[in-house]
Amino acid sequence: MGGADGLINLTIDGAPVSVPPGTLVIEAAKQAGVLVPHYCYHPGLPVAGVCRMCLVEIEKAPKLQIACATTVTEGMVVKTQSAPAKDARQSVLEFLLINHPLDCPICDQAGECELQDFVFQEGQAKTRYGEFAKRFNPVEDFGPDVLYVPNRCILCTRCVRFMEDVAKEPVLNVSERGDRAFIGIHPEARLDHPWAGNVVDLCPVGSLLSKDFLHKARAWELDKTASICTGCSQGCNITLDTRDEVVVRVRPRPNLDINRYFICDHGRNHYKWMNRGDRIEAPLLRRDGELKAVDWDEAIDRVAGILRGAAGGKAVALVSPGASSEALAAAKQLLSAFTWTGAFQLVMGEEAPLAGVPNLALRAERAPNATGAERLGYTRDYAPALAAAKGAAVVLVLDDPDCAVETDGALIYLGTVLAESAACRRADAILPIANVAEEEGTFVNRDGREQRYYQAKPAPGMAQPAAWVLGQLVTTLGLAEVR
Amino acid sequence: MGYPHKPHPKETVVLSQHFGDADARTLKGWTKRGGYEALAQVLKMDPVAVTDIVKESGLRGRGGAGFPTGLKWSFMPKEKKKPHYLCVNADESEPGTFKDREIMRWTPHALLEGTAIAAHAIRAEVAYIYIRGEFTEPWTIMERALAEANAAGVFGSIKIHLHRGAGAYICGEETALMNSIEGKRGNPRIKPPFPAAAGLFGLPTTINNVETLTAVPHIITRGAAWYKALCLSNPKSTGTKLFSVCGHVQRPGNYEVTMGFPLKDLIYDMCGGPAAGRTLKACIPGGSSVPILTREETERTLLDYEGCVASGTMLGSGGVIVFDDSADMVYQIMRLARFYAHESCAQCTQCREGTAWTTKIMERILAGQGKPKDLDLLLDLSENMTGKTICVLSDSCAAPIVSGIKKFRGEFEAYLAGKRQPMMVA
Amino acid sequence: MTVQEDYQPIFIGKVQEELQAVLQRYPNKQAALLPALWIAQREQGWISDHIMAEVATVLGLTPAFVKGVVTFYTMYHQHPVGKNFVQVCTTSPCNICGAEDVLKALLQHTGAGDAGATSPDGKWTIVEVECLGACGFATPILVNDDFLENVTADKVPEIMRKYR
Repeated sequence: MGGADGLINLTIDGAPVSVPPGTLVIEAAKQAGVLVPHYCYHPGLPVAGVCRMCLVEIEKAPKLQIACATTVTEGMVVKTQSAPAKDARQSVLEFLLINHPLDCPICDQAGECELQDFVFQEGQAKTRYGEFAKRFNPVEDFGPDVLYVPNRCILCTRCVRFMEDVAKEPVLNVSERGDRAFIGIHPEARLDHPWAGNVVDLCPVGSLLSKDFLHKARAWELDKTASICTGCSQGCNITLDTRDEVVVRVRPRPNLDINRYFICDHGRNHYKWMNRGDRIEAPLLRRDGELKAVDWDEAIDRVAGILRGAAGGKAVALVSPGASSEALAAAKQLLSAFTWTGAFQLVMGEEAPLAGVPNLALRAERAPNATGAERLGYTRDYAPALAAAKGAAVVLVLDDPDCAVETDGALIYLGTVLAESAACRRADAILPIANVAEEEGTFVNRDGREQRYYQAKPAPGMAQPAAWVLGQLVTTLGLAEVR
Repeated sequence: MGYPHKPHPKETVVLSQHFGDADARTLKGWTKRGGYEALAQVLKMDPVAVTDIVKESGLRGRGGAGFPTGLKWSFMPKEKKKPHYLCVNADESEPGTFKDREIMRWTPHALLEGTAIAAHAIRAEVAYIYIRGEFTEPWTIMERALAEANAAGVFGSIKIHLHRGAGAYICGEETALMNSIEGKRGNPRIKPPFPAAAGLFGLPTTINNVETLTAVPHIITRGAAWYKALCLSNPKSTGTKLFSVCGHVQRPGNYEVTMGFPLKDLIYDMCGGPAAGRTLKACIPGGSSVPILTREETERTLLDYEGCVASGTMLGSGGVIVFDDSADMVYQIMRLARFYAHESCAQCTQCREGTAWTTKIMERILAGQGKPKDLDLLLDLSENMTGKTICVLSDSCAAPIVSGIKKFRGEFEAYLAGKRQPMMVA
Repeated sequence: MTVQEDYQPIFIGKVQEELQAVLQRYPNKQAALLPALWIAQREQGWISDHIMAEVATVLGLTPAFVKGVVTFYTMYHQHPVGKNFVQVCTTSPCNICGAEDVLKALLQHTGAGDAGATSPDGKWTIVEVECLGACGFATPILVNDDFLENVTADKVPEIMRKYR
């Protein structure tokens, strides 16, 4: 069985495909560029085979087979577009629509709804169900962020299987039987598992909804940007959805090595701060005890001058473990003429693993680039660094607004907001920087994986990426690209 | 025997020999009647030899599928690496069928003996007898018999347990039955994997019907050749079968006949046909999930697997439902559709939505509000519900509808044309 | 659902022993769920959300899982029922032998009114069920655990007297 290289050769819609033994037809089809329509199947969940949408014709098989549960065999000939297959799929869509309400105009899922997509692609234009009443059940609040709209549910059971087999906490069930069935939850339980929000992503229709995102934006109004979650050191891949340059939603991006198809609720909610309005919008220099707004040329000049004047002394860099590797490297380079100490403070929290996936958890280290910082020589010895700052010639504070540093030397503050902290009150120069959504950069996650995130929206005012600001200073001081 | 009636001369009495004989239920009474001799013999035999005898006999599953029993047993792994299980399907819920309850309440030890023999043949350490929740009397009788047999150490190392269902027709489907024993919703499983590879608790399992297993001790003591010779028509259908006759007949009950027996004789000779002044209009020979037969088809059908297929239906469970000319076929088909809509497990889209939709259309027709396109719609939906789901409940809902419209179209059209008094309120 | 202050656990003492014996029959605890629910219903008459939670704890399952199972099987009561719970088969084989007349007679004589409702005196709940597997003995009915056969509408008053 199989070719010389151990692969199975088959034909899908006329195209030859070679895949490893054990591959499902629905996955093999992707190689042929064929998307077999489906609902209940998901590569991150155990196979259910219940929606019956992926029925395909397989030569020599007496009945249509579901592509999500059929393994490839040598010489198999699969037809996804034959009349029997298309008729079967059209009938499944018809059956799904008889009780599914015409909610599109008020449903959050519109524009990213798999029912809409496949009905448009191969459904019927008219209903034959007409005069009968549709099944009705009121909306249910499942817990912290999830609403359940039973009327729209197509009983694909992705949510039930996610909670049972991936989160390993069966808090959702299918209740009742026949066309009375719905997704149920026990009154004693809430959908408050740290990874529960994924059911909203998994739901192919607008049945499970995020309360946070409810009626916030239409799917087609959203711009999508690839990014990396800053909630912890796992480094989950995410998409930032922005509307009119405001981040409105975070969704997971598939990465089989890190987060598979999921993100935790902490990361999912960790975006509102990206839209803060109270940003520093211009470089500020302290003159006569007051902060005055200046342009970048003047600010760079002034700070370069401070650094030139203090060269040879001690410098302390107090940084955020959420700063990009580029910014952290530039900061270190900038201070290469000094005896340098770099440290960061890590906020710690409770770890929350996703039990069904190896090596995936909301990590205790609540920052995305601690490893990146450590690789560059920054340490977690924050308290000693804070103490050393007192006598340092230069203190550089990078994106650490609550920094309680006191120093007799010069204090350069790069940040997004002005806080009532010692650092801000003391700073000689305040340079506005972009946050993670407003720049491109890289983080190194806890496993040492370097990942790039991209710019989703413009930075406010004159704020610039920290790497640019520090890079300008490096250039101005004529410091070579010393590593 | 057509219990509660006296045995009819045309019956071949094997399984039903002691129906109505309360003494046969006790261990003492049963052993006096030759019980447990077959088991004693089998426990000394090689399991493969036992399977070969059953294969040779031509015994086929009596639950409805008619799969050759010996062949099914031989699917179990040849090499014993893990625990094996036997499940006995006593969930009898197919409308028109009531034979397994009689076996259990009159000859509980016969079932226990057949179970133990099968367990030995497939090298199962444990057997579960899944009895539907509503069978309270068979449960009590089986419990008592099992306790007696266990106390006497009849089964050797084989453990037999009773497991009570809780009201779900779908648990009669073999994979749903396993899920129900495992403490889950009775949802059928996708196959592969097949039970013999990964069944109950993920381990190699065989599921057999009550009537099938009750035949096994007889095959052991009287020989495969004897069983094979019990054949009136097609040599692929051997032995006897209990046919549960109900509906519009004068003497309803269970009748045991040799395979290939004429359906006509069963209904008219044994059961006395419909009441005086009434004529037979329709008959479903194999439980409600098989196509309906007209009178003419009924009267020429031979009762074995092939004979029923030749008439355009199936032997199924052998639940013979007889309708005389007073029956409203449209109403009864509606009632069957409603049965399937109630029992659908809700996994597959076609079944979950289709059983309910077809029921609604049937109700609409009966309420005098049917539309001209309704029959075509029903036929189209039935086709969409057939051959496309995890199990055949969906197909079973379609069968009476398709055969009903084909063969009794006039009755449907009478409702559509407003020529018949509506039987329902919209 | 609030914590029921006066909730009395079911699985203690003799009932707990009974469950332990049941658990011996299966290789894991989950398989004892259906038997455990039968025991609970026998003890309490019906299965409330609190009882589902207790069964879940005892068997190491989640309440939601137990609820999914309870709502699947029609014989588990999710609310209190009358003293006599009557199940009447009205599927086609019994239907053509007068089952609906039996149902009507029962509803009428007990005063229950609608199928599924409990009679005003709390003594009767009548429900319509699917095939009870006694089609040749039409119409079969279950009164609690008593399986009665060959019931006709005219026999209903007598049955009611017997179960008063």
